[in-house]
Amino acid sequence: MIFRMKDRFGLLTMHTPIRRCLQALNREPQPTLSLFKDPSSLRSFSVAAFSNHNISSPLPIFTNSKPASAFGKWHDPRYFSTSKQDDHTKKADIHEEIEDEDDSDDNYDDEDEEDYEDDDDECVSVSSSKKVYTAEEKEAEATAIGYKVVGPLQKDDQVFKPYEPAFAVVQIGSHQFKVSNGDSIFTERLKFCEVNDKLILNKVLLLGSASQTIIGRPIVPDAAVHAVVEEHALDAKVIIFKKKRRKNYRRTKGHRQELTKLRITDIEGVEKPQIELAEKPSESAKKEQEKVPLSA
Amino acid sequence: MALRGVWQLKKLVVSYSDWGGSSKGIRAFMESHLPAFKEANPQLEVDTEMIRGQHPHLKALYKNHNDRVVCVKNMDPEEILLHATRLRNSLGRKVIKLRTRHVTKHPSVQGTWTTALKYQDEQNQVL
Repeated sequence: MIFRMKDRFGLLTMHTPIRRCLQALNREPQPTLSLFKDPSSLRSFSVAAFSNHNISSPLPIFTNSKPASAFGKWHDPRYFSTSKQDDHTKKADIHEEIEDEDDSDDNYDDEDEEDYEDDDDECVSVSSSKKVYTAEEKEAEATAIGYKVVGPLQKDDQVFKPYEPAFAVVQIGSHQFKVSNGDSIFTERLKFCEVNDKLILNKVLLLGSASQTIIGRPIVPDAAVHAVVEEHALDAKVIIFKKKRRKNYRRTKGHRQELTKLRITDIEGVEKPQIELAEKPSESAKKEQEKVPLSA
Repeated sequence: MALRGVWQLKKLVVSYSDWGGSSKGIRAFMESHLPAFKEANPQLEVDTEMIRGQHPHLKALYKNHNDRVVCVKNMDPEEILLHATRLRNSLGRKVIKLRTRHVTKHPSVQGTWTTALKYQDEQNQVL
């Protein structure tokens, strides 16, 4: 016996279970977004709707795991629609699709559309430790973290200049540092660079020197901080010891963090005070002044 | 592992035994990965040494006269390559907990802030 009026008459509202919506979609092919009023589900559906043209059915693929659990509730025959034949046929189809989606759901996150499309094309199982990056993926991830690999250090490069009184606030990953020429910085392991590689750190939040300060909103667009990778090493071992007293529970775990040491070589984008050049033009100006009155 | 462009690892000594089972991995490493490793690092002196009756190890000598020894008994050749690469990638620093993540000789550019410091506008008005 169908108790709810909405289920009886096929009206779709916010409280309509998602499975009901699917059935409605099956009957009338329509853009899916307009039917759902729940804002959180809207967000996930907008990612799904435009990708994946491989599956020919008009059903959307849900990136959220919520729909799968929602389906779990509604397998009971009591909750099916008025036309029982409809339900039996649809149930079989949707069963299979749920199983597929369950597997694929686990792999997908709401965050990156890029990753979503790549997984679709390659059908790779999740083992992030041995993922092979293409060159573009490397660059994209690197720029997301906040740096760019320029290339290995050549012998003739004179990158290590003497100290210049200018500083920059640079962000790498989630950490920010106030750097100047000749400083060294320990960051989390940067994946795509080797030792003795030149880097350009492009997420610069603030630049400063003796005469000028440039504040970024949030980053300064044309600023660059050059750095060289000095070292990829492991930190000292930290022992993580857990104990619950009188409960016979004791765990010991060792951890060594992987770090990268960068040496900052150059800061671009600020006015740096140039003392040497200031002296020479003043000398030549004096000489010119002396000459002019003589000629006159 | 390069301080201002200068590689810090001077010498890598690969010690193995030709009889023991714990050296099986390192013997395979010496045949498969070691030549490539040598070519990739021409600045590095790589020696092989046979020590009978002992477990195999990698000994690294650095420019600051530090040495690090890594025991590679019962390891796969790939793991041994990873350890060798790690030794090459590090400076000869002592492995202790980091004090700061930012090492600098010139901490201040525009002057260190004190409570007595007053900021001035371009028109020389005190803010």
